[in-house]
Amino acid sequence: MATLSDLADELVTDVDGLMLFSPSSGHYKRYSELDDGADVIVISQENDLNADTHVKLPLKFDDIQTRLRYGIEGAMDHGIVNDGDVVACSATVFGDDADSLVRLRVDDRMRSGVYALFADSRADPGVIRSVFEVAIELGKKGQKGKPVGALFVVGDAGKVMNKSRPLSYNPFEKSHVHVGDPIVNVMLKEFSRLDGAFVISDGGKIVSAYRYLEPSAEGVDIPKGLGARHMAGGAITRDTNATSIVLSESDGLVRAFKAGQLTLELDPEDY
Amino acid sequence: MLQTGFDAIVRLLDVVSFRLWAAALVFLVGLVVALLIGRVTAGTLRRVGIPGAIEGTEFERTAREFDTSTVTIISRLVAYLTVAVFGFAALSIFGTGYVDRFWSDVAGFLPQLFVAFLVALIGLIVGDKVELVVADRLKSVKLPQTGALPTAAKYSVFYVATLVALSQIGVETLSLVVLLAAYVLAVIVLVVVAFQTMLASAAAGVYLLLQQPYGIGDEVHIAGNSGIVQEIDLFVTHVESDDDVYIIPNAKVFRGGIVRVRS
Repeated sequence: MATLSDLADELVTDVDGLMLFSPSSGHYKRYSELDDGADVIVISQENDLNADTHVKLPLKFDDIQTRLRYGIEGAMDHGIVNDGDVVACSATVFGDDADSLVRLRVDDRMRSGVYALFADSRADPGVIRSVFEVAIELGKKGQKGKPVGALFVVGDAGKVMNKSRPLSYNPFEKSHVHVGDPIVNVMLKEFSRLDGAFVISDGGKIVSAYRYLEPSAEGVDIPKGLGARHMAGGAITRDTNATSIVLSESDGLVRAFKAGQLTLELDPEDY
Repeated sequence: MLQTGFDAIVRLLDVVSFRLWAAALVFLVGLVVALLIGRVTAGTLRRVGIPGAIEGTEFERTAREFDTSTVTIISRLVAYLTVAVFGFAALSIFGTGYVDRFWSDVAGFLPQLFVAFLVALIGLIVGDKVELVVADRLKSVKLPQTGALPTAAKYSVFYVATLVALSQIGVETLSLVVLLAAYVLAVIVLVVVAFQTMLASAAAGVYLLLQQPYGIGDEVHIAGNSGIVQEIDLFVTHVESDDDVYIIPNAKVFRGGIVRVRS
């Protein structure tokens, strides 16, 4: 006869590491020193528990798969876990407490680029994060209640500017607006009714709005059914070292492109 | 019967001299007055809004750790001074002979000491508050270099308060003032020498950011390097060619001039 705890045992036998996703302090204290020698890795937005091994989450990632993937890729990048390791992940799927346990074998093929999107982009991770927040906010509220689309090209702004042309006068000319400034959300909401792309520099300065991107779309592989905005956003990341963050007008999703590939898809309604 | 009882009380009173009774009475009144003054001071300070104004300062936080507050400390101080004053009054009523030269000196010195103590206390609190306010003001300026300013402001206030307090109790402060002047001069010289290029770059950077003679995406030749401008901040300009990124101090941009490539 098997007992219920056998089920949990099966998940945690011979794991090399335990990944705690946004644990509560009590939860962390209980499992921070494990008898069987598995490493404990904390993955959360702020390392307020002062864990020794910590991977910083840039966003909350409501989708559990994206969250696990980000944590694993981050741990791989830091050299905490390696190809072939088996880890147990304790995470929250519903509610606020850790309510699920996932057993995973770390595999180099798991790399989807979610971690690299934030950590290895030309632009600062904080800038990319801020742009995501703006896009999510815009996707949630829309403009005057109507769904709105937007295209942000972040990083490598010099090259992006040379691969694009203005559609009209640049409203951000001679301004010193950075993403993350409190006024930006309102400004971008107003300007989002303009056609064209927002160009943002590595340091977060909004260089221009109203840009018509002119990359060569050759060999860009993005899912069929996405429109011209996504195609332009994806293609510019292949020609330059920029990252594109696109808010779709039709389905309301926020997508990120890097090196011509779709790397992340988020639903603003989850945040 | 009543007469004999009254006589007994009078005799009892006479055992101890009238002066002692008066002194004791004065001291008792002093205790009551001190209590009242302490209460009134605390109440006034609270009504003026002192606790709100000094909230978050280090002194207040330390006071909180010892389960008290700045207002309580100040009102206690005032009360103690009152007790001391009435104490001396009582002593002098009891007999001037008891209050000899030494004690009268101390009596004259006590208010000064009290004022000095109060000045030091207020200096501590105001210094802390100034640090908080300056830090708050500078929060919108996104420069890590401004981090030292609030601390400098705090210690300046501390220093001035210490000077005032010391001069209150009669310490010669001129040498300390001279010391401060020398110190400030040394700091200014150090800043000018050490941060000369930084300051020059910042001055140039202000012009570049305000006037934008070139912007992100322009192709430029600066100081022998050519490429596309990627980023301009207060101190440096990032220019990127196909292979390299040049990070050029803004002072150099100004000294060498800018060539914008027209295409």
